[in-house]
Amino acid sequence: MTMDERLMHRSEVAVSVELQTPDMTLNIGPQHPSTHGVLRLVARVDGEKIQEVEPVIGYMHRGYEKLAEVRTYAQITALVNRIDWVAGFANEIAYIRAVETLVGIEPTERAQWIRLILSEMARISSHLVFMSSYPLELGATTPLFYALRERERVLDLLESVTGGRFHPNFNRVGGVKSAAGGGAETKKVSQDLPVGFFSQTRDAMVKVLAVCDQIDELVTGNELIKARTVDVGVIPADKAVSYGISGPNLRASGVAFDLRKHEAILPYDQVDFEIAVSEHGDCYDRYVVRLEEIRQSSRIILQAIDKIPSGPLQAKVPRILKVPRGQAYVRNENPKGEFGYYVISEGGRMPYRLKIRSTSFSNLSILPWLLKGALIPDLVAIMGSLDFVLGDVDR
Amino acid sequence: MNDSQSDAAVEAGDALAEWTGTLAERLGAEGWVADFATPRLYVDREAWVETLRRVRDDEGMPFFSWLSAIDWSKEVAVGETVAEPDDLEERFEVICRLSSVIDATGAHFIAVLPKDDAWIDSIVQLFGGAEWHEREAHEMFGIDFRGNPNLTHLYLPDRFEGNPLLKSFPLLSRDVKPWPGIVDVEAMPSADTGPSTENPEAPR
Repeated sequence: MTMDERLMHRSEVAVSVELQTPDMTLNIGPQHPSTHGVLRLVARVDGEKIQEVEPVIGYMHRGYEKLAEVRTYAQITALVNRIDWVAGFANEIAYIRAVETLVGIEPTERAQWIRLILSEMARISSHLVFMSSYPLELGATTPLFYALRERERVLDLLESVTGGRFHPNFNRVGGVKSAAGGGAETKKVSQDLPVGFFSQTRDAMVKVLAVCDQIDELVTGNELIKARTVDVGVIPADKAVSYGISGPNLRASGVAFDLRKHEAILPYDQVDFEIAVSEHGDCYDRYVVRLEEIRQSSRIILQAIDKIPSGPLQAKVPRILKVPRGQAYVRNENPKGEFGYYVISEGGRMPYRLKIRSTSFSNLSILPWLLKGALIPDLVAIMGSLDFVLGDVDR
Repeated sequence: MNDSQSDAAVEAGDALAEWTGTLAERLGAEGWVADFATPRLYVDREAWVETLRRVRDDEGMPFFSWLSAIDWSKEVAVGETVAEPDDLEERFEVICRLSSVIDATGAHFIAVLPKDDAWIDSIVQLFGGAEWHEREAHEMFGIDFRGNPNLTHLYLPDRFEGNPLLKSFPLLSRDVKPWPGIVDVEAMPSADTGPSTENPEAPR
């Protein structure tokens, strides 16, 4: 390089802040530590600033809507709890309620309460994954160990009842499966919740509440966390609604809407709890709302184990299930938001069509809008705060 | 279920039917159904965007829940046919679900498209979230959403051919291997349902 060239180069550097720099295409993924699955982002960046981003999804597309057309109603529960695998139990609720609506069978009361307790456990375990992974993505390692330790306790409880940690496949039309161990001889005497379940649940909830306080101390007031998340990735309420954002992400934007209060398909009207809501719609608020939801869920579970009535686990259901012609849509407040199933029955053994309204798909669809103009260092903070699971995006 | 409960259920159903009926009248819908707690309103496809805009702005349902489609087809490559294939009018139905974020209000809005002329106007201008849902319905059913700025494959690889959720699209794994789930469908020898009237032949 001659002296002249070097000088020229230097002068270019000096003025480049004033000039338009050429855009660069940055490919992120398909595997990135914070993507919660296989997601690829193609970003057009100008320096550190993201001009445009195109999420490329479908790496985990399993075609569940097509597969459901060749499975009986009973077999589909095994599919649906693999959609959002972080909260597998919760996925079954809306599906089984949709089939029950079509058949015209009400689940027994005890089964409804068991469903309620276990879906709140699924919510706690899902939010605890967020509480471990999100600070980690921002550089805080410690909360991971605290949160996952207590999540393990909750998963153990789920497993002790359903036999599965991630994929319980526990709901049946008219109630829930009798717990593990029920053979032909014990069929008439339903197997129920395992011995000691209630006292272990009480212990676990005390520990969950304690870990919330620990995370609160470590993360909520942390200056570094706040610098990375406050006023970052702001979703205004009207944008959230127009993109179909639901759950904690919607409530962080100031919309106090929770299907557990507004359209409960489980006996949530008989327990006391508050809708966790915030107002700014930034990454920090999305974290705060989820932390509060863990506390509210523990509160719900503690009330529910006092209120659960005794009785059968299964309503009387014909051996071969005939689902009449009809179309029913039922939605449920999953840990990540509104989760719905539109079951279209033509009177056969299998649905004619099953539309799955999965939460993360809609929650992630705002990403191109949200990341426009954001800085690359904020990308991980914004994505992580949406708390999506790729299985729930791709179905 | 005792009598008072079922009465309450009927009353709730009637209230929903009444609500759906008046909404359909206000919107000038072509028809409506409100069974199984799922209100469905049929909308002319020419009025699709305008109707949904009115639902969003005037009827208090701004929440874009989802958009998808159904392929009503006489013949199916996999799965079961409709109950009465001979009487079926072959068509696509495009469904958009909108709801409230204040209460439980919500409804399906449905446009009927002929199979040989399957297009509908895009609602991306109304709901930002519709882009992905329309792209999915486009690749899965081959429906054209006029005005969608980015109508490319969403899930499927770029060079994928065919529309997998069409009823005519075969499921290759079924051609390779018969359905392993048949054991769950056959009537058990001890079944107390009397002689089975079901066709024991395995569905493809």
